[in-house]
Amino acid sequence: MTGGLGEGVYEVFARKSRGEPLRHIGYIDAPGDELARVYAWKTYDEENWFEMCVVPRRAVIPVNRRDGPWRRNLPEGAEAK
Amino acid sequence: MTGGMHPASASRSGSPDATGDAPSPAPLSRHILSLADTKRLLGIRYSDWLLGSPSIETGIAASSMAQDEWGHARLLYAMLKRLGFDPFAVEHTRPADRYYSAPALDRPFDDWADFIAAVVVVDGALSVALESFADGNFALARSRVPKMLAEEEYHRQFGTAWFARLAAAGGEGAARLDAAARTMLPSTIAWLLPGDEVYGVLVADGRVLPGKRVRELLKARLGGTLGAAGIALDDIEPDRDGWDPERRRGPGAPAEEAVERARGDRNRALFVE
Repeated sequence: MTGGLGEGVYEVFARKSRGEPLRHIGYIDAPGDELARVYAWKTYDEENWFEMCVVPRRAVIPVNRRDGPWRRNLPEGAEAK
Repeated sequence: MTGGMHPASASRSGSPDATGDAPSPAPLSRHILSLADTKRLLGIRYSDWLLGSPSIETGIAASSMAQDEWGHARLLYAMLKRLGFDPFAVEHTRPADRYYSAPALDRPFDDWADFIAAVVVVDGALSVALESFADGNFALARSRVPKMLAEEEYHRQFGTAWFARLAAAGGEGAARLDAAARTMLPSTIAWLLPGDEVYGVLVADGRVLPGKRVRELLKARLGGTLGAAGIALDDIEPDRDGWDPERRRGPGAPAEEAVERARGDRNRALFVE
């Protein structure tokens, strides 16, 4: 979940135009929200994004799976299928 | 001619001072050269840390910032064409002692604290200078600089966050950051606010904002970041010792190795327009 620099993982979402849904384009490691914004913008700069957002991986709650990068965020006692 | 430059200075040397004996550049061309050279050198200093920064993401950000600076420099050099200069000669032929860059960039950064201090102090002062330029009456600056400032917003966020992080960590890192910022500030403030006759003409011509207003912008941009780390911007005096009015800076010059890279000496045979 965190790297050697006390960093957290942030998932990166973006869309190219207003009408397009946000899609997951990758992730970055960052020590805080402000640097996460900069790192995401500078790392995923291959497109002229209309909108980009970052979400701390710890904030993503899985709904239907127990595997994958967000499995540790399952609420205690939650039953995922 | 725009900016009151004497036509002879362009036709005689082909660049503001490629030969070293050309007349002092007019206020506007000195201003543009000072901005462009500082951006070019800043890009080189950033690029030194593409592989040595604390994380992969930080290195990618440093790479992107270096490219931003070089792109901005290219646009600024191109403005000189409007003033009668040959931008190619300006970019690729001058010796180190004809560079107008901020003295804080003369030598490579010693460590990451130097890098972060430069992002806040030098890059921050550059952005203030650009903000002032975009607010003046030079049409090319009004049309081209706002996009540069939009890109610079990420440099500001990067510098602010890293500066606060290093300062809050305390210990040797915070001490080195403090020393680096205090070393860069006096010469950089002098570079931003020359306070000389040439700069006075620039203000009188409406090219840039008055010095008092620029100082306010500088405080708005850097004051909080520096203040939180115990550095009172109001207490820092500009260092104008040995002031060179032609190059708008104090004595010295960027290291030759950096200037060779800035000029593109190794790629000279490959240059295309």
